[in-house]
Amino acid sequence: MVMKNPKLARVAQGARLELVPLQVLVPVVSTIIALGIGLIIIAATGASVVEAIEAFWDGMAGSDFNIGASINRAISLALVGLGFIFASRANLTNVGGEGQIAMGGMFATAAALHGAGGLPLGLAFIVPLVAGTLAGAVWGGLAGVLKSARGTNEVISTLLLSFIALPLVYWSVESFHLLRKPISDVSSLPESAEIPDSTKLPLLFPDNGSPLHIGLLIAAIAVVVVWLVLKHSSLGLRLRAVGLNAMASRRAGMRTSFYVILAMTVSGGLGGLGGAIMILGQQFYLTSDFSSGYGFDGLVVGLLSRGSAVGVVIGALLFGFLRSGSINMEISAHVPSAVVLICQGLIVIIIAGSAILTNRKVTR
Amino acid sequence: MAVLELSGLTKRFGAFTALDDISLQIERGEVHCLLGENGAGKSTLCNLVFGVHRPDAGTMTLGGEPFHPRGPAEALQRGVVMVHQHFSLVPNMSVAENLMLGRASAVLKPQDIIVRMEQLAAEYGLEIDPEARIEDLSVGERQRVEIIKCLLGDPQLLVLDEPTAVLQPDEIDALLAICRQVALRGKSVILVTHKLGEISRVADRTTVLRQGRIIETVAMEGADIRSLVRSMVGRDVQSAGSVLAAAVDIEGKTPAKPSSAAGPASPGEAVLQISDLVYRDPHGVPRLDGLSLTVGTGEIVGIAGVEGNGQTELGLILAGLAAPSAGAIVVGGTSVGGCSPQEITDAGVGIVPEDRHAVACIKELSVAENLYLGAIGKFSRFGLLDKSARRKAAEAMMRDFDVRASSPDVSMASLSGGNQQKAVLARELSLDPLVFLLAAQPTRGLDVGAIEAVYNRIRAARDDGLGVLLISSELEELMAVSDRIAVIYRGKLVGELAAGSFSREAIGAMMSGHAHV
Repeated sequence: MVMKNPKLARVAQGARLELVPLQVLVPVVSTIIALGIGLIIIAATGASVVEAIEAFWDGMAGSDFNIGASINRAISLALVGLGFIFASRANLTNVGGEGQIAMGGMFATAAALHGAGGLPLGLAFIVPLVAGTLAGAVWGGLAGVLKSARGTNEVISTLLLSFIALPLVYWSVESFHLLRKPISDVSSLPESAEIPDSTKLPLLFPDNGSPLHIGLLIAAIAVVVVWLVLKHSSLGLRLRAVGLNAMASRRAGMRTSFYVILAMTVSGGLGGLGGAIMILGQQFYLTSDFSSGYGFDGLVVGLLSRGSAVGVVIGALLFGFLRSGSINMEISAHVPSAVVLICQGLIVIIIAGSAILTNRKVTR
Repeated sequence: MAVLELSGLTKRFGAFTALDDISLQIERGEVHCLLGENGAGKSTLCNLVFGVHRPDAGTMTLGGEPFHPRGPAEALQRGVVMVHQHFSLVPNMSVAENLMLGRASAVLKPQDIIVRMEQLAAEYGLEIDPEARIEDLSVGERQRVEIIKCLLGDPQLLVLDEPTAVLQPDEIDALLAICRQVALRGKSVILVTHKLGEISRVADRTTVLRQGRIIETVAMEGADIRSLVRSMVGRDVQSAGSVLAAAVDIEGKTPAKPSSAAGPASPGEAVLQISDLVYRDPHGVPRLDGLSLTVGTGEIVGIAGVEGNGQTELGLILAGLAAPSAGAIVVGGTSVGGCSPQEITDAGVGIVPEDRHAVACIKELSVAENLYLGAIGKFSRFGLLDKSARRKAAEAMMRDFDVRASSPDVSMASLSGGNQQKAVLARELSLDPLVFLLAAQPTRGLDVGAIEAVYNRIRAARDDGLGVLLISSELEELMAVSDRIAVIYRGKLVGELAAGSFSREAIGAMMSGHAHV
């Protein structure tokens, strides 16, 4: 990385001349460098690099199915990332995406299995989506209440709330009186029954076998709404004011604790929606570890976007495709998916490190 | 012979020209003062000389050689040193250890530093215990350590950026004496200040900067202080002559006259009534202890007192940021004791808080956003902000109140303290309804022009029938602006003087709790 940096700087210099925004170029170059290092690691593990690349590409975008699956992954990551930047507008750091996804997925499953299935007019999947969103909102809002009532640091409370949410999911799929499906002769795994077909999210392209579902539209709406609220609404300005200077905001007549709770509630709600979409869109039944890592990937997406809704979209797509590719690489080319996790880590570090390049432009 | 020669220096920050075609010579062995209001370009000039910024045009020579420092390190190497307003000392290390920082070669030799410190003590009177820890030192002593740090390397030019702003009067005297000593030994001193009294005591020559340009450079022998003020502010300053004299610390200040000279007050019915106000802090200590006060329409009531006698708490309670433990506050017939800031604003109360940065404004937000911080919804349709309407309204308000910024969209932090305060006043005086204004330490940290503007605004508000409560630790200010002065001591008012009977001695005695009137 030390050797790469001057090169990166030169590329960045060139970019300034060619008027390619540095904010776009830096992540792209970072990704390429990280993938290059990943390939070296793959070669070092003894696997065939060519085979690995093929498998990786195939998993990401080798077929309509794979592209759809990658984008589906990106949808949930984007929602968690949007939640992160929403809270960070009020200078709050929501690291509890994992728990909010878990709560959202669990309550969406419960709603889908118990009652929503028979509802008409799309309510069959809308009700579970709302249930999941509300569950995530409560989980995030709790951290907001703790913060405004007791001054509890939201980083700690959201993290610890995740540690509560994950076992709750486990408990729900372990317990027959909760969500665990009855033991049949074919399966006795601790998981929920499959949700009714009517509660599954409708597919966008049912004819070509792509699993891409209307979650894409929901996420797109969420992106636009979050962007509008944060950049162009009075609510966004109030959130920002409260986050920057609570005392001055209070003097100016704002109810600061209300905005803290609101920011955390909306943030958690977006995470919960992401979890609900994971269940209703592709997984269709609840397992104890269904959220594995999505919350933290979503957190990273939010971090890297630096508060921009467009940045969240780009980051979510990047991580969604990488995740799909890595899963396939592990299955077909027998390369540990840990290698891709390493690459993801490298991307994060390089992008964060190259912030020096983009920030320098601002301070000059 | 000139040590430092600047010719045609220009520095821009974006569209803003901070320095415009500056040409100046600093002679060997002189104390050269840079005088100017906040934002005039004094600090930028220092930063160019010290290599923090690089000029966009122009040349500098040091000792006859071209001098274009690419950073402070190069400036230091060439013998230019600077004491900044904010010190760079490690609090939990000793003086000697701090002096070794930054010049540590592979082998540290504490005894060398101590020997050098003894030399400096002998030469300049810069005495300080090498073993003392920085955190145990007063502000003045810390500044002395900074100066010693600068002089260790035997520099040619010492730059001091507003060094007296943080000092007590006796510490200022000592500092000015040190400046003279430094100059006597053939080094040159650039001293940035806006206090004229200091200049007349220490400077050989003074350069007045205004809006990035040099207005004049004058030798101090026989110079007319009033004309310097005129150069600095750009016009004659007539209002509250004695207050301004106090603010800029002109020698031989005249005794303050009551403000009846500045315009008659005609107090009417009570607009603010405070009765038996008690406030206990979270530890149960009474900070306000049965304070009662009435402010009528069209009068300015000053609160004098040594800081820490309850003024801050009174300000917070009136702003709605602290709830009184007991007592009543009534504004224009509405009881506002313990109400929320919004309810207090709705009752017609404007607040210029004591702490501008913590309470009055959000420095990261734009000027327009700050001007309408309490009325964000005013420019919002369906929840979306109408930024162009807000910008237009903000521009009008900035014109009315002479808030100088290149645009309403620049951040509040980029404004000078004076313009920030004018913006706060603009916002609070534009409230509707408005019957009462609290101004707590309204001129703290401001320069002459801004102080005058603040006084004029407060007076104009009074003449419009507003009741004004002025809390200040500057006695001169209170005596010149108030129609009535009440003295606060240990959380209650211990005396009151009407206009025409102000006496520094009487107020001073009451402030220290020694006398009742």
